Amino acid sequence: MVSVDLKRDRVLLRWGTQKYEWCIEPRYWRNPTFGVAFLLILPLFFFSYPHLLTMLTTANLLAALAIPLSLQILGTARVNFGPQFYLGIGGYTAALLNLSFGWNPFFTLLGTIFVCGSVALMLSPITWIARGLYFSLITLILPLAFLDLTYQFGDIFRGEVGLFGMSPLFDLGRVKWNYLSYYYLSLFLMLLYLLGAHKITKSRFGVSLAAINENENVARMMGINVSFYKVIYYVVPSILTGIVGWFIVHTFRSFAGVTYLPLEFMLKVLFIVIIGGRASVFGAVPGAYAVSIIEEALRSFGHISHWVFPLVLVAMIYLLPRGEGLWGLYKKRHPRDYYPKMHVRRE
Amino acid sequence: MIEIKNVGISFGGLRALDDVSFSVGKNEVVGLIGPNGAGKTTMMNIICGLYQPSDGSIHFEGTQITGMTSDKICKLGVSRTYQIPQPFYAMTALASVVTSVLNGKKRTNMSLGDAGLEASYYLEFVGLFSKRDELASNLNLYELRMLELARALATTPKLLLLDEAMAGLNPVESERALEMIWSAQEQFGITILWIEHVMKIIMKAAQRIVVLQYGKKIAEGPPEQIVKDPHIIEAYLGGKH
Repeated sequence: MVSVDLKRDRVLLRWGTQKYEWCIEPRYWRNPTFGVAFLLILPLFFFSYPHLLTMLTTANLLAALAIPLSLQILGTARVNFGPQFYLGIGGYTAALLNLSFGWNPFFTLLGTIFVCGSVALMLSPITWIARGLYFSLITLILPLAFLDLTYQFGDIFRGEVGLFGMSPLFDLGRVKWNYLSYYYLSLFLMLLYLLGAHKITKSRFGVSLAAINENENVARMMGINVSFYKVIYYVVPSILTGIVGWFIVHTFRSFAGVTYLPLEFMLKVLFIVIIGGRASVFGAVPGAYAVSIIEEALRSFGHISHWVFPLVLVAMIYLLPRGEGLWGLYKKRHPRDYYPKMHVRRE
Repeated sequence: MIEIKNVGISFGGLRALDDVSFSVGKNEVVGLIGPNGAGKTTMMNIICGLYQPSDGSIHFEGTQITGMTSDKICKLGVSRTYQIPQPFYAMTALASVVTSVLNGKKRTNMSLGDAGLEASYYLEFVGLFSKRDELASNLNLYELRMLELARALATTPKLLLLDEAMAGLNPVESERALEMIWSAQEQFGITILWIEHVMKIIMKAAQRIVVLQYGKKIAEGPPEQIVKDPHIIEAYLGGKH
């Protein structure tokens, strides 16, 4: 009933009338399953090194920040220089709701989604009125202004110290197990974002998104309601970014604006987007891991990373001038080849 | 089909269009000609909703479209091409046309796959099916113009606005493009408002010509009458001639 057939380049599995095949030729090993399996196995090697597990968890969370940002860059055709603004809003909302009102993580999640969505919706008209440098400047200033607020209202946000002692998502009783579980949770969150973003870019909405990214006016003339799309692609990634803040609050159990809102953190996220591949949702994963590993490796050298990251960036731009990044290098195709090829069967 | 009444627009101190009125009937091909800077493309941009006129109104099939956004006007059935092709350079030819299919006239239950099939029909119609997977940046000028035509047709327009569709094409390509436009008009039953500088082509293609100069309409009539009009000869060649 079940037969397995090993061909030169593929494995065929027949089960009744069903036929499944997997390509095993190394040059086609681009199946995301391999990547996911690798990421699932990876922490088991670092089980005894909590700081490395934390590094991997941070890499997942950075990727989870970069994925919505890539989607936002595509959908609004503008580069948001302050994605961490919504991370701050999400984090502080969750922390304050938890500490002040004793809401459990599920309700703080709902609160985070609501607050981030409302703020993003209120600010979304900037995607219509501000272009290029103006949009970048506005988005750059937002997190810095929010950081200032956290100092101004120190009795609420606790300024530099931040908020701590929020209730955890769950507690397995042992520290190592908790680190491992947070890694898997962050991986799950990142993969969820990745899958969602991939589905969107490959759907009918993704094609319209690509058109907006290419030329707004022409897209509008082709019947695309550009203003509506821009609002959607500003608000939804903002909510997704806020959810990462919520996750940080309930896993690391402390949240300080001074860690996430300054320019250094924003630069890290933008480095991920550029190193991984400009506006490529998959590029966020290798980008985030590369940045986290470089950062961890250079931690003992102090502030050297401030020099190393720009150098890496210049090297990337010099070596991969089309902005395809690590993902483009891996795919070896044009990075913005939006639509799957259509083949005509000649049988 | 479309009625333009006393339309005027100013850019700062410049009066780009002043009190222009004309109409285009169903299945008609109307040429819009005039010297450089006469306001032809501005008129097209106003019809498409890119600019809002400072006075006058435009009615499309009885609906006032002045003040509407471009996407709504497109959904009503107005589509256009550009003087300088404006393709989506980083998208494949098929993807560009798919965008039009998905966003033009509302089609119920249109999936991405269905849209791909329909888009491939339009690409085949303009002779670009073999280039469907090419990025627009790899296409030549004639192919880009054809891609624009396919993209415009894919929104299923009732009125097609062609902005210098022959610019930069050699005589053979121009003839091919003209054939294509005629056959599009025949097959899809569309009305065409056509801006053109190549007089030979527009005189052959249009049933009626509207002439603009310095933002004002100076003549309107069948091509054979227009070529003999002394005002138009003066506008194009100067008073001496």
